[in-house]
Amino acid sequence: MIAAIRISRLPIRADVGLPRSREARLSIGTSRRLKAKVDWADLVGRVASSGNREAFKSLFEHFAPRVKGFMLKAGCSADEAEDIAQNTLIAVWRKAGQFDPASTGAAAWIFTIARNLRIDLLRRTARVSRLESKEMLAADPDSADSAEVVVSRVEDTARVRGAIERLSSEQSRVIRLSFIEERPHPEIANLLGIPLGTVKSRIRLAMNRLRDLLDEEQ
Amino acid sequence: MTVTHHPPENLLAGFASGLLEEAEHLVVGVHVAGCPGCRRFLHAIEQLAGTAIEEAAPVPMSEDAFDLVMAHVREMPPTGAPRPAPVRTVWPAPGRQDLPELLRRYRLGKRRRVAPGVSVQPIELSGSGKARAFLLQSAPGTRMLEHTHSGTELTCVLEGSFSHDAGRYGPGDFDYGDDDIDHRPVVGDEGPCLCLVAMTGDLRMNGFLGRLISPFVRL
Repeated sequence: MIAAIRISRLPIRADVGLPRSREARLSIGTSRRLKAKVDWADLVGRVASSGNREAFKSLFEHFAPRVKGFMLKAGCSADEAEDIAQNTLIAVWRKAGQFDPASTGAAAWIFTIARNLRIDLLRRTARVSRLESKEMLAADPDSADSAEVVVSRVEDTARVRGAIERLSSEQSRVIRLSFIEERPHPEIANLLGIPLGTVKSRIRLAMNRLRDLLDEEQ
Repeated sequence: MTVTHHPPENLLAGFASGLLEEAEHLVVGVHVAGCPGCRRFLHAIEQLAGTAIEEAAPVPMSEDAFDLVMAHVREMPPTGAPRPAPVRTVWPAPGRQDLPELLRRYRLGKRRRVAPGVSVQPIELSGSGKARAFLLQSAPGTRMLEHTHSGTELTCVLEGSFSHDAGRYGPGDFDYGDDDIDHRPVVGDEGPCLCLVAMTGDLRMNGFLGRLISPFVRL
């Protein structure tokens, strides 16, 4: 019963209109407010410089359940999501020295770690079930995920940051819902409180705007 | 020479989110390694994905999760390895016999001839997806048969060029085809054309000759 109430609460709140949609629109603003309360990048830095356990525990308590929630929504099983979340935090500890706050946010960095672990998990599972007798390729998870990370590392981070800041909060939300969380269009229409028929063009507009902002000379 | 044809945004976003099939991930990755504009786009998507993590509804971890993680972590000091060097490709790479770095991580199958002047070499993937990946080599001036796709086809040119209705595709360029597109690429005269291709479904050859040979082409 409690679980049922919990599940039904979110969509109902999403329908409530103004107060909810105002809260929801502040996606980037919200994360900035959170950062003002807890500076996650600073905590990663403290793990890197002194192996600070308290800092790591805060990171674990905040991010592990969110990575797990994100992975569940993305279609992972409960075991897989738990496994990815644990391994993500292990990697956060291990790779804390590689985190560069000038080029990326702590949450985005943690996202890329979790994403690479999921890619790696999918491929390893497929390989193990397919080639039990054959020699295993890329047994080291580090070598498997590093390619993905380094491809997307970017030289001109200031330009990217500027573009994201100038994107309207609705536009960044549309991109997130459609491409990162892969929500179906009716759900996006519902969350944003817009007609279903306009979802496609909103996505198109948001993508074009992001492209234009990124391509602008500074 | 600059790269002029890019993957559609939904493929770039899929790449950034890790939601593409392995074959498609590889072809998009090879393009991106040589394209600063698409790298910026990916980076932007990753930043937005960070916000998605922040706002994901937290789901409680198992009770012993923190202890398990700490048990691992106790063994190893933080910091550790330096950041790996970026994977980059500079196009064109004239006279290069080696493949882009991302591709060199894979084992290649046996190259076989599939049509006059055309050969394919499969890339051995983990088997987690339905799409296949292969290298497609075509002789200069090869006129590919008119064809459509029953699924999708993602192509990144590695060497040489081809042209069809939508323009000319040189090293680093990305081409996307699905079942709406009926095209007839022609390979440039300047040399053989080497492409990396990810494909779902089958090619459907059109026209009399195409139907006649398609059972043998087996692409």
